[in-house]
Amino acid sequence: MVDPTVAALRMRPTGVARRGPLLANPLNLFAIVLIALFALGAVLAAIIAPYDPIVQALGSRLDPPSAAHWLGTDQLGRDIASRLLYGARISLFIGLVVVATAGLVGTAVGLVAGYAGGLVDEALMRFTEIFLAFPPLILAMAIAGALGPSLTNAIIAIAAVTWAVYARLVRGQLLSLRRREYVEAARSIGASGPRILLRHLLPNVLAPLLVQASFDMGAAIVAAAGLSFIGFGAQPPTPEWGVMISEGRNFISTQPWLSLFPGLAILLAVGAFNLLGDGLRDLFDPRLRRVG
Amino acid sequence: MNVRRFSILITLVLLAAACGPGGTTGATGTPQPSGGAAASTLVWYADTSDLISLDPAVAYEFTGVLLAHNAYETLVKFEGADLSTVKPALAQSWDIKDSGSTWDVTFKLRSGAKFASGNPITADDVVYSFQRVLKLNKSPAFLFTDIAQIKDTSIKATDPSTVVISLPKTASPQGFLAVLTFTIGSVVDSKEVKAKESGGDSGSTYLLDHSLGSGAYVIDHWTKNSEVLLKANSQYGGSPKPALSGVLVKHVPESTNQQFALEKGDADIARNLGAQQIAALQGKQGVVTTTGNSLQLVYVGMNVTVKPLDNVNVREALRTAIDYDGIVKDLFKGGAKKVQDIVPAGLAGYNESTPFQADVNKAKSLLQQAGQTAITLELLVPTGPAPGGVAWADLAAKLQSDWKNIGVTVNIKQTTQADLLGTYRAQKGQLVMILWGPDFPDPDANVGPFTDYAAKSIAFRNGWDDKTIAAKGRDAALITDTAKRAAAYKDITDYVLHNGPYAVLYQPTEPFGLRSNVKGFAWSPMDWTDFAAISK
Amino acid sequence: MRFLGFLLRRVVGIAAVMIGVSVITFAISHLIPADPVAAALGDHATESQIAQFRAEYRLDRPLPEQYVIYVTGILHGDLGKSIRTRRSVAQDLADSFPATLELSFAALAIAILVGIPAGVWSAVFRGRLPDHVVRVASLVGGSIPVFWLGLILIGLGYYQLGWFPGGGRLDLFVAPPPSRTGLYVIDSVLSGDLEALRSSLAHLVLPALTLGYFSTAVIARMTRSSMLEVLGQDYIRTARAKGLHERLVVSRHGLRNALIPTVTIIGLTFGSLLSGAVLTETIFSWPGLGRYATASAVSLDFPAVLGVTLLAAVVYPVANLAVDIAYYWLDPRTQHG
Repeated sequence: MVDPTVAALRMRPTGVARRGPLLANPLNLFAIVLIALFALGAVLAAIIAPYDPIVQALGSRLDPPSAAHWLGTDQLGRDIASRLLYGARISLFIGLVVVATAGLVGTAVGLVAGYAGGLVDEALMRFTEIFLAFPPLILAMAIAGALGPSLTNAIIAIAAVTWAVYARLVRGQLLSLRRREYVEAARSIGASGPRILLRHLLPNVLAPLLVQASFDMGAAIVAAAGLSFIGFGAQPPTPEWGVMISEGRNFISTQPWLSLFPGLAILLAVGAFNLLGDGLRDLFDPRLRRVG
Repeated sequence: MNVRRFSILITLVLLAAACGPGGTTGATGTPQPSGGAAASTLVWYADTSDLISLDPAVAYEFTGVLLAHNAYETLVKFEGADLSTVKPALAQSWDIKDSGSTWDVTFKLRSGAKFASGNPITADDVVYSFQRVLKLNKSPAFLFTDIAQIKDTSIKATDPSTVVISLPKTASPQGFLAVLTFTIGSVVDSKEVKAKESGGDSGSTYLLDHSLGSGAYVIDHWTKNSEVLLKANSQYGGSPKPALSGVLVKHVPESTNQQFALEKGDADIARNLGAQQIAALQGKQGVVTTTGNSLQLVYVGMNVTVKPLDNVNVREALRTAIDYDGIVKDLFKGGAKKVQDIVPAGLAGYNESTPFQADVNKAKSLLQQAGQTAITLELLVPTGPAPGGVAWADLAAKLQSDWKNIGVTVNIKQTTQADLLGTYRAQKGQLVMILWGPDFPDPDANVGPFTDYAAKSIAFRNGWDDKTIAAKGRDAALITDTAKRAAAYKDITDYVLHNGPYAVLYQPTEPFGLRSNVKGFAWSPMDWTDFAAISK
Repeated sequence: MRFLGFLLRRVVGIAAVMIGVSVITFAISHLIPADPVAAALGDHATESQIAQFRAEYRLDRPLPEQYVIYVTGILHGDLGKSIRTRRSVAQDLADSFPATLELSFAALAIAILVGIPAGVWSAVFRGRLPDHVVRVASLVGGSIPVFWLGLILIGLGYYQLGWFPGGGRLDLFVAPPPSRTGLYVIDSVLSGDLEALRSSLAHLVLPALTLGYFSTAVIARMTRSSMLEVLGQDYIRTARAKGLHERLVVSRHGLRNALIPTVTIIGLTFGSLLSGAVLTETIFSWPGLGRYATASAVSLDFPAVLGVTLLAAVVYPVANLAVDIAYYWLDPRTQHG
């Protein structure tokens, strides 16, 4: 759900020499390691979390970080570190589902529009434009408000504001490809339309799609947290990071760790995805060679 | 070249702003200073998102009622926290006569009473005020039409200082007096209101953000979403006379911000602090905390049309399993009262008995008696904070774990309060956790809804159609002898305690944060306060 | 003439998009399972009151008819009546929009005044410390949850340090300046009210920083990358070869051309500011569109939600159009469409 305008921006290279294999660059390495940790924590949450994230332990409320609770406890005695791990699982889930759904729907629409051309293309592109005109959070609020506050509805809402960028991307790639000579050439020797699409389009469009997807993973996590914060997304006692910040905001003057750590988690996770996106884009951008 | 483009863009932008949404008075209110010196204005921080109108015939939400209560006077009132004796306000005396087919309540108005405008208060003003309530037919109107059962013709001015109101025999005169203490019974300045009428609205558009009454304060302005300013009424004939010259009610929905402002001294009183903020404020310099009683009850409704909730043993088991003491002590840190009956403390008819406290064995055996050992139910819960400042979700989680101990699996479903009410009213909930506040300070305001299926209120929403208890409730409402009435309500509440479809959890106390120099603040269980008594 | 054609096409395009936006939002708000009316009237509403309310808001008519009524209303400037506030939605929007506009402008001002120099600085010192600092700060800006940032800023700036006010647009006992634009800073300048000017500026700092950080990061990155591209161009090499002072090279030749895409961005980020405003306004008790939108969505107040969405969805294309018009006038060589 990166704002489409900003999405357009991000397609510009960073202008830093990041030639060579992706992993050779330290920044990319850092990003990938962070993401791997995040994913690992998410997947293994049930095994490595020292405490149950939901069960209340009213005897040990609001404990500051200590040996027993590395990140402290919250107002119901729940271990924050454990909740963060389970929250990682939820955030990862949100990111993957949003990007997969939005990506699939958007790509499908873009393919149909680009391939069919003419009136169908016009109509689909107007439809896409409409969704691009909505400020993301407001549309997400309207949808989540209408459907009711829950994590599932928040995911639906965020996917609804994310898909349009993919449609535009794919259609754009498809159009520029159609003009390429080798498509003409391939056609002239009798290759079929869909086959051309698959063999020539896919590799070319995969790159920008991956870059966008990387940014959108981060954007979806932040958007979901934002919706939870104002009450439209996941609800307590779900250990979603936005919910944790929201629950902790009443304690900010005396026990700031309740809101501090989930916010840091979001910052790190989203930052890692943004870095990854940067790295991927620089990797794929042929123009980069010129900028020394 | 590009700097030029840049500056042209900025100019365009500024131009757009200059002729854009210009000239809206709504955003800034009336162009008057926001208040006198800070020292003589009470600064009240609250979440006022429920404020829709200041018109006493329309206001039914907490903020509107609080403000209208201070801007208008009623015929009778309660003093302080004593809700059992009605005291004179605009009416210096009254009597109730049985005329055979009706109860005739005659009020004699206080002599020399004046509105803030200087106009004298006459019986015609009272008649006009009550008739416009009926005409507008807004949210609080049911108190006149359904509870008091009066019509336009029931209200008469027999001379400039006497009003007679005739109630049908099916209505309770005591209940009517209680209703009249509420803001719906406010007397408005009919001469001025009539001058402001437009399009048959009975002056409602003007009174939405102005006041034309005789209360201790006058509404100076209401800047939507921002603040309401009240100024002291120099003509106020009641007592105590307002100590402070102004009250500024600021809309600050975040309780954290309220706490910060209180500590910094920007706010004098913070209305919406949670249990956490109260705890954080203990021992802080310049700040004290206090509580006010409220007449609300937080309860779980069980839909008896949903099996196995139709079995009274199952319901009793659910009641028995809950850790009420834990809720009060741990979740609310003492900021709540353990009440298990349907009439709150502070009203006549309050039943002190609280027989339930987590007894897992007893609950399990009750379930066995009912032949139900594996039950799964859905608990509908609102989003946001419950009365008393704890999140609804946390309360729900506690119940969920209490019920798990006796083998009942409860799935929590959270929806907005708006949504929940819709489902609840349609009898589609299974277990519903929600609050209830009486509309007027009389036990019937709770007993009726909780016992009478035909009232289409709480009993209806839970599908509980018990004709015997409904009849008992209706009869008890009409008993005039205080002792007999108390006995009747004891009988009713004892019955509902063990047979009804309710698990009453607690009666919240309202926490307030005050600067230590604020004196005279007292919160009425009617969910308002008299600003006039406050000084600093 | 060509300009008129261009303008016409864009305006028609915007109108078409608005119609689409209205249909979709209308559909979303009306296909909700819950009934907002019973909720709005509260627990004790009688049947007659509910019926009266439904008739007043025309909820008893079939959906397509409601939509037609709504659209004809819009053409007369009537956006319907809010179920929650019982006032005209247009009036509610007019009351809350200026506050959001002011906050957005302030955030944008910060983004431009900090972002552009930071981007230039970063490009000029590429690979060295300033570059690293700016890039890390930009990364954080693009990844930080805006509501968390707001909490931290208000906790530090107001509560701990007491340097800034804790919410609202003005100090408690300062009257708003006479309203011309609804933007307090401009209005207080126009009427010479120094107290209001000082107060409104002080109240803008924290929320504008919160809201503006993301845009600052975006603009800094944009400026940096286009600066780098430009600095690698031939004419820059020529200027350097001619012996021109480096600073001149950067400012006269480099910056100007690098700013072109940046100016484009400025118009575009305006749309994203509205989203961020929703969360920022909640934290800073800012009486703007974002807070109105949140309150409306919670109470299922769909006329209000519709109104807000329409207004918000028109801001972005209009901002875009304004920038494009500016370009078109300045450089007729710029082709559109």
